[in-house]
Amino acid sequence: MKKLKVLVEALAAKTVNGPAGWEDREIEGIFASDLISDILIADGENILLLTSLLSEQVLRTADVTAAAAVVLVNRRHIPVALGKAAAKQGLPLFYTPLPKFESCVRIGHLMEPA
Amino acid sequence: MSSLPQLQPAEDMSLRIQELAANLKISDVMTRKVFAVTRSCTMRDVQTIMKNNAISGVPVVDDKHVIGLVSVHDIMNAFEQGWMQDPVAMHMVTGVRTLAEEQPLSFAMSAFSKFPYRRFPVVNRKNELTGMVTLRNINMALIQELSRQLDAIETEGGRITPPATSENCIFHRIYRIARYDFESGGKATAELREQLQARGVSPKTIRRAAVACYELEINIIAHSFGGTLSLYVDRDRVRITANDFGPGIPDIDQAMSEGYSTASDWIRSQGFGAGMGLPNAKRLSDEFVIQSGVDMGTMVKAVVYWGGGE
Repeated sequence: MKKLKVLVEALAAKTVNGPAGWEDREIEGIFASDLISDILIADGENILLLTSLLSEQVLRTADVTAAAAVVLVNRRHIPVALGKAAAKQGLPLFYTPLPKFESCVRIGHLMEPA
Repeated sequence: MSSLPQLQPAEDMSLRIQELAANLKISDVMTRKVFAVTRSCTMRDVQTIMKNNAISGVPVVDDKHVIGLVSVHDIMNAFEQGWMQDPVAMHMVTGVRTLAEEQPLSFAMSAFSKFPYRRFPVVNRKNELTGMVTLRNINMALIQELSRQLDAIETEGGRITPPATSENCIFHRIYRIARYDFESGGKATAELREQLQARGVSPKTIRRAAVACYELEINIIAHSFGGTLSLYVDRDRVRITANDFGPGIPDIDQAMSEGYSTASDWIRSQGFGAGMGLPNAKRLSDEFVIQSGVDMGTMVKAVVYWGGGE
């Protein structure tokens, strides 16, 4: 388990939407996928979702699976509408220029049991 | 005379028809203008009534209570035997089955599939004749209900709240889902989540219900010509019913197997189409039924109980 802030910093990610107290949210697992069908099958609670998809369906999928936060990987700009939608549903949303594999490697090490 | 309290909705009745019938009672569909005769009327009298009013069955009453029925078949028999001047009491069919007007319409539908009769007299609580019900009444009522629901959905911004059918009902709404409308995909699911959260349903159950609902909602968008999604929440469960207008699934077993998908590249570019939707919805549901007819449409019912699926 890691605090969201630690993971976001490790990814050098920027905040699109950060509801109050997001820094201290505890993340129990990571799921990385660009296929919504796969995200919908993932089990687990307090999941941080990594994806390079940019559609609003990503946010809805995060909502229905009760994901704790989403990081959009391999991105330097984020559509404004996406930030607004995240704010509306109270979902912590970030983006990082790091590619997905690189992102996974970095936080994969952090998530390993000490 | 006997009534039919033991009847339940037929198991094989299509989900869509069950849904349409759910809000209707027998009194809503029956013919109220009934031609009845008393026991002393003759078979000839009945034949005249049938001819003048184009009906094929006339109940016989005694002080408003149904004591028999005369059908065209009985009249033909009477012709043959020379009984046309006899009182109906001599040749009517007795032991007529009746339906109660406050019963759900599904009881009448079961009665028609269970018994060979073409009409049933309908009685009120005092057992007095108040109407007749035929298959034609039922067909007309279902068609009217269907078009009423579609009209209501059109005029109320894509969703309607049907009248409550049970005191246990907490939330019931029907959404219209348009083909390829990925932008709206998930809106019904979002409302379901809100409703369940507001009722204090456990996060685990909400997740199961929401993902199942979302899979079915996306299926209508990605794979059908459009349809409706109905959400029904009562005290211990949510029932999600997805209906679409086609094209239908030729092989349901294949569609239910993981990884099988007919999705186009465009659907895949939206992040969907891994062939996991239906199996995933089934995995998350405590009850799951799917029916489909090619060129007709597909109906899926998924039920999630609070505390189920553990």
